[in-house]
Amino acid sequence: MPLRIRVRNAETGATVDMELEGENTVEEIIEGAAGYWEKDAGAYVLRCGKRLLRGQQTVAEVKIMDNDNLELIPDPEGG
Amino acid sequence: MSDPIVPGREDGDRFDRARRIEWVDLDALAEAECLVVGAGALGNEVVKDLVLSGMRNITLVDMDQVVLSNLNRCLFFREEDDRDRAMKAEIVAERGMQLDPGVEIRAVVSRIEELHETEWERFDVVLGCLDNIMARLHANSHSYHAGIPYIDGGTFGMAGKVQMVIPPETPCFQCGLNRTHYRVLEKRFSCTGRDVSFFEPKMPAEITTTSVVAAIQVREAVKFISGRGDNCIRHVFHYNGMTGMSETLELSIDPECPLHG
Repeated sequence: MPLRIRVRNAETGATVDMELEGENTVEEIIEGAAGYWEKDAGAYVLRCGKRLLRGQQTVAEVKIMDNDNLELIPDPEGG
Repeated sequence: MSDPIVPGREDGDRFDRARRIEWVDLDALAEAECLVVGAGALGNEVVKDLVLSGMRNITLVDMDQVVLSNLNRCLFFREEDDRDRAMKAEIVAERGMQLDPGVEIRAVVSRIEELHETEWERFDVVLGCLDNIMARLHANSHSYHAGIPYIDGGTFGMAGKVQMVIPPETPCFQCGLNRTHYRVLEKRFSCTGRDVSFFEPKMPAEITTTSVVAAIQVREAVKFISGRGDNCIRHVFHYNGMTGMSETLELSIDPECPLHG
């Protein structure tokens, strides 16, 4: 049964809804959202509340629930 | 009978005000060996803060030359350094030592990958002030293998982050990477240098966010060296200068990470 979550773009405040299965990975969410917003090539991370989600984890492993709100954050790598 | 007080004596001590922070161990800071990787914007601020905090032994590694576009965020650089094609590490070392003649800053003009493996073990803390993920991975892994805390800083416009890696207790820098990082592994995010194509778009960078991130990096180093490791950041600190928000986000250790296996 797919679940529906909302991803927020930390840079613009825009949101997009995504439909996911338990085996989808965090990386797929990141790439899906970044692609939707046509974001520049760069590093991004995904947070769920106070947690940073690791890319290889699945939706099931990180216990993302129906109607959860996630946030796509650019990962600052300049110096 | 106690020693008589001498009016104004406290103002003759460079570190009088730091001594009034009870937990700061100035003796430990003076003895500690500190490696700073990168002499760009973050490196400039980090060295300034390390010197003013009481660190006495700093090694600074950077391979780049000063260019004019560095000057909006690198306090030690001057226009003549651009004209003279001066090396960043050497300039920061020279002018950093002017802040306190009691400090030794050793400039190493090379890539961090060229630092011999045995060299890492002499340091008590490593501060990453880099502009690319590949070099960060190198510093992260070598610090981890040497059992030394690695304090990584990063900026992007008004956004910044600090991750403190305390082996083997905390997640490391590599634990937090995903495919988007690996796709831009060697991209230089803000500075210039020999390996950067001139047509590569540069990332936004400015001094206020740089200062915040560098200050947090140095503060974590001071806490750790002073024996307050339990008070150090254990995950990833994110800062947003536009919204004024900052928070520490929890990162778990990646069971597939080769450093933790």
